[in-house]
Amino acid sequence: MNVKILVIEDDAQIRSFICYSLHAEGYDYLTAQNGTSAMNTLVSEQIDLILLDLGLPDIDGIDIIKKVREWAEMPIIVVSARDQDKEKAHALDLGADDYLTKPFSATELLARIRVALRHLYRQNGNQTQSMFSVGDLCIDLEKHTVRLNENELHTTPMEYSLLSLLFKNQGKVLTTAAILREIYGVGYGNDTQALRALMAGLRRKIEKNPAKPRYIITEIGVGYRLADE
Amino acid sequence: MKKKNRRWRHYTLELIFTVLIVFAASGIGYLFRYVGFPETNIVIIYLLGVLMTARFTNDFVFGILGSIMATFAFNYFFTAPYFTFAVDDPSYLVTFVVMTITSIATSTLTARVKKSAAEAEERATETNALYQLTNNLTDAKSIEGISLISAKQISQILDCQVAILCFDREGNPEPTFVQCHGQENLRREYNKSDDVAHRLEGMQRSFITGKEFCEWPIYGRESTLGVLRIPKMFGEEMSERAKKLLMAMIESTAMAMDRFRTAEERIRYREESEQEHYRGNLLRAISHDLRTPLSGIMGTSEMIMDMSKKEDPRYTLADGIWKDADWLHSLVENILNLTRLDEGRLVLQKQPEAVEEIIGSALEHIKKRAPEYDINVSIPDDVLMVSMDAKLIVQVLVNLLDNAVKHTTQDQSITVSVEKAENKAVFCVSDNGEGIAESDLPNVFKMFYTSKMNAADAKRGVGLGLPICDAIIKAHGGTISVRNNQNGGAEFTFTLPLGYEVWGK
Repeated sequence: MNVKILVIEDDAQIRSFICYSLHAEGYDYLTAQNGTSAMNTLVSEQIDLILLDLGLPDIDGIDIIKKVREWAEMPIIVVSARDQDKEKAHALDLGADDYLTKPFSATELLARIRVALRHLYRQNGNQTQSMFSVGDLCIDLEKHTVRLNENELHTTPMEYSLLSLLFKNQGKVLTTAAILREIYGVGYGNDTQALRALMAGLRRKIEKNPAKPRYIITEIGVGYRLADE
Repeated sequence: MKKKNRRWRHYTLELIFTVLIVFAASGIGYLFRYVGFPETNIVIIYLLGVLMTARFTNDFVFGILGSIMATFAFNYFFTAPYFTFAVDDPSYLVTFVVMTITSIATSTLTARVKKSAAEAEERATETNALYQLTNNLTDAKSIEGISLISAKQISQILDCQVAILCFDREGNPEPTFVQCHGQENLRREYNKSDDVAHRLEGMQRSFITGKEFCEWPIYGRESTLGVLRIPKMFGEEMSERAKKLLMAMIESTAMAMDRFRTAEERIRYREESEQEHYRGNLLRAISHDLRTPLSGIMGTSEMIMDMSKKEDPRYTLADGIWKDADWLHSLVENILNLTRLDEGRLVLQKQPEAVEEIIGSALEHIKKRAPEYDINVSIPDDVLMVSMDAKLIVQVLVNLLDNAVKHTTQDQSITVSVEKAENKAVFCVSDNGEGIAESDLPNVFKMFYTSKMNAADAKRGVGLGLPICDAIIKAHGGTISVRNNQNGGAEFTFTLPLGYEVWGK
């Protein structure tokens, strides 16, 4: 089965470079220059993944995410300018899967697509994977253990649930709000300070240098991401 | 002198008038005696004469003078022995005394009535003048208009030359002032050496007497709005009453000017916020329109690099395109940041942030731009939380690291460190590269300053990165400084105040 990607981007140059990258990687793609034609394509075609520029001439990208999420679960990767942190976080909270900041490289783009598709297949395949690893860091969800360099790592329950959440979404960015909701539960408020402290503690256990993280990468103004490789 | 002469002539005329009245009364008295009327009627006629004198002369002195003259005339003409001031019948003495007292009382009363009538009239004129002034002032369309109207009106009422000099918002005199005399008015240039503002500061009374002029300041609610000036001669001779009227008129003028300024301010404020809105939109549009094509250029040149081998000259060319586009992109980002900071209304979105995350983000950024560099990092063991606008501080670190990368080679080292001092976090970015020339050290944070030491083909800088760092750190209430370290490389240090307790400990 060939993956079909819808590229929604109004700038011709960026569109052509994205399409070229997709083509070189062997993906099928369709393009839309504005929100309206994108919506038309979405209802008439079977699309596996959406690449969406937030700054479209006609419809706000955020509205497209809202509409799509009413009936479809395919991954949406948002493309935006750098000073749109709030929009980015908002888009992610509304159901976008990941984001790319302009200017981005083809390597980055393809890596994000791979991550998104992997998560999609995992969901669809219903296979419950219980062992994850990145670099020297492994987690066993069945045995509730974390191993670093083959040595078992002692973690607090909170740290463990944070790490398992990150592993389940490996490579994807998770917003601060989403993490708080997952590990503290709904209604716990948004104590970002507590999360920062928790993150700092966890990093001190798994990273050689917390300021040069190998595993958990900070996305300032948005959230965190577990490295994909 | 003229005025004094005129007054004397006036007095003389009134004296003659008084004498004539007394003579006329005497004439009528003769007539009465000839007809055979009793003497009482003659006395009444004299009293009438005194009343007339008091009514038609301006000074009460003439009334009294008239009374005495009337008594003597009666004595001289109508009591025996005639044509002498002696009297045969001593009972006449009583008549004289009563007559004098009656006539003096009558004349003073008349004079008083007249005076209060005159006062009432004067008051009415003043009220009218003030009303006229206020009324006219509402029609004024500018501060100059207000000063012209006031000067004209005051000049008409005081009947002398009046000049008004306005001050601008900063309290400095305007270059010209208005001068009026009656209906005539003209604009004259203000002589700067005449330091009015300074004089006003040191004034003790409600007005100043200068060499040629008396000056009244026009006080607004917040500052002195101007100064009114009339010739010294008039100013000094002005009655208390006239001075009060003048003060009232100055007050009206000040109110009108104040009102005008407030209205003007309101309009300006509205215009400014509108402009602000447009500028914001423009900036957004520019940033989008510049960044989008740059993203296209960078992505496309990257694709070309991917398609060609490293030895291929096309690879090098595409690499050049990518680097230039990247440089242009960071320039656009910096200019946008600077415009935002420059407006002085930058709202910091401060939150306690873990220092390590901030440094991590900055390094991530630099890694994209200069992957071949390995940057050393040293942070405290305990988590250090500092209240800051994360994005802006990342920008500072990126700019400093970018600067370090520009001035070092790959085999030289760059170090980022953070330490906790007593009540601040101290960040330090140092390298052991070429360092900064002594002559450049004081200037690196200045806008658009680029070192003259560098040859033309050296790595380009626009002199924006460091001024932006400076502005951001200052907005946070911190400090930033630069020096050359013992290895000869540059060392940038900035501090951020620790608003929040250090987490954990």
